[in-house]
Amino acid sequence: MDGMRTDAELMELYRGGSRNAFEELFARHHRKVIHFCYRMTGDQARAEEAAQEVFMRIARAASTYQPTAKFTTWMYTIARRTTLNFLRDEKEHGEKIPIHATGEEGDPAEEYPLPGPEDWDPEQVVWGGELKEKFLEALQHLPEVNRVAFILNRGDGLSYEEVATVLGVTVQAVKSRIFRAREMLLAELSGLLQ
Amino acid sequence: MECKDIREIISAYVDGEASPEEIREVREHLGACAECRSAEQQMRALGVGVARVEGDVPPEFRDRLFARMEKEDLLPKRRSIFVFSVRWAAIPLAAAAALALYVMSSREIPREFSSPAVRPPQVAAPAGTLSPEDREIVANLEILEDPELFDEPPIDEMEIFVPSSRQRG
Repeated sequence: MDGMRTDAELMELYRGGSRNAFEELFARHHRKVIHFCYRMTGDQARAEEAAQEVFMRIARAASTYQPTAKFTTWMYTIARRTTLNFLRDEKEHGEKIPIHATGEEGDPAEEYPLPGPEDWDPEQVVWGGELKEKFLEALQHLPEVNRVAFILNRGDGLSYEEVATVLGVTVQAVKSRIFRAREMLLAELSGLLQ
Repeated sequence: MECKDIREIISAYVDGEASPEEIREVREHLGACAECRSAEQQMRALGVGVARVEGDVPPEFRDRLFARMEKEDLLPKRRSIFVFSVRWAAIPLAAAAALALYVMSSREIPREFSSPAVRPPQVAAPAGTLSPEDREIVANLEILEDPELFDEPPIDEMEIFVPSSRQRG
């Protein structure tokens, strides 16, 4: 039964020529990939295009997949590289996509203020309309290394260790990148998060 | 520990990635620092926010992708319903044909006669019911059984006729 198979088993079956195996993998993960691409690019059309490319690359690289690696980690590694290429290509073509190479230098959110009542409930923030739009925009202002770490952890639920594997960095680096992403986002959105 | 030094640990704490020792430090600090408590709440809100940002999945997304993959031979094409159905219908069709053949051939052996009009003639009918023709046939049968009744000469008196073409040599 395909529904009971692991992602790694489905990849093996797909490599053996099973269409059903790929369809099952697609059914399991396509939403995650589209959401990831949308958070990374901030644009629906580009997210769709990037997500298509992610699956094409997964299919093309199926022979290189090692079943010892977690499929989702491998998938997000491809998704990250794909969106990064998309954003770089668009930047080269003059579109307004901010790309910051490392994000490690400079800190626009140094000593940011943190107003707000102490009993404020973060779960109750209405993430719709203008706030959602501004949030998506603020995400795009982050350096890519900080944005991707924060999105993978909070958006896609990967642990710091998994994020570290996807990005090829240490867990400490992930911890630092996510913190800096938060600092910068709060500097831009703190007025709205009250 | 000062606020600026503990904020990164608070961020990890919010993500559930702080060590037990860090958790203890953070809780101790938050208990005494209103500013960091507020920061912690806002950090949590950002996490909720990014999870709520979701792209749409267009209905044609799957078909478009699979068409691209098929074009590049990255996905085995699905067989058409017709080919599939013929393939899988072959077994019941063959079984039905075999059954029909059996039924038709087995009818040739024990033929049932439902109407008296088509019954085969009775071989051993009671004597009282024989017609004149039947009696004649029975009489001739007696002649066949007794060669003496034939007007033919004994076998040693029979002439042998040899065809003229074989009489020479």
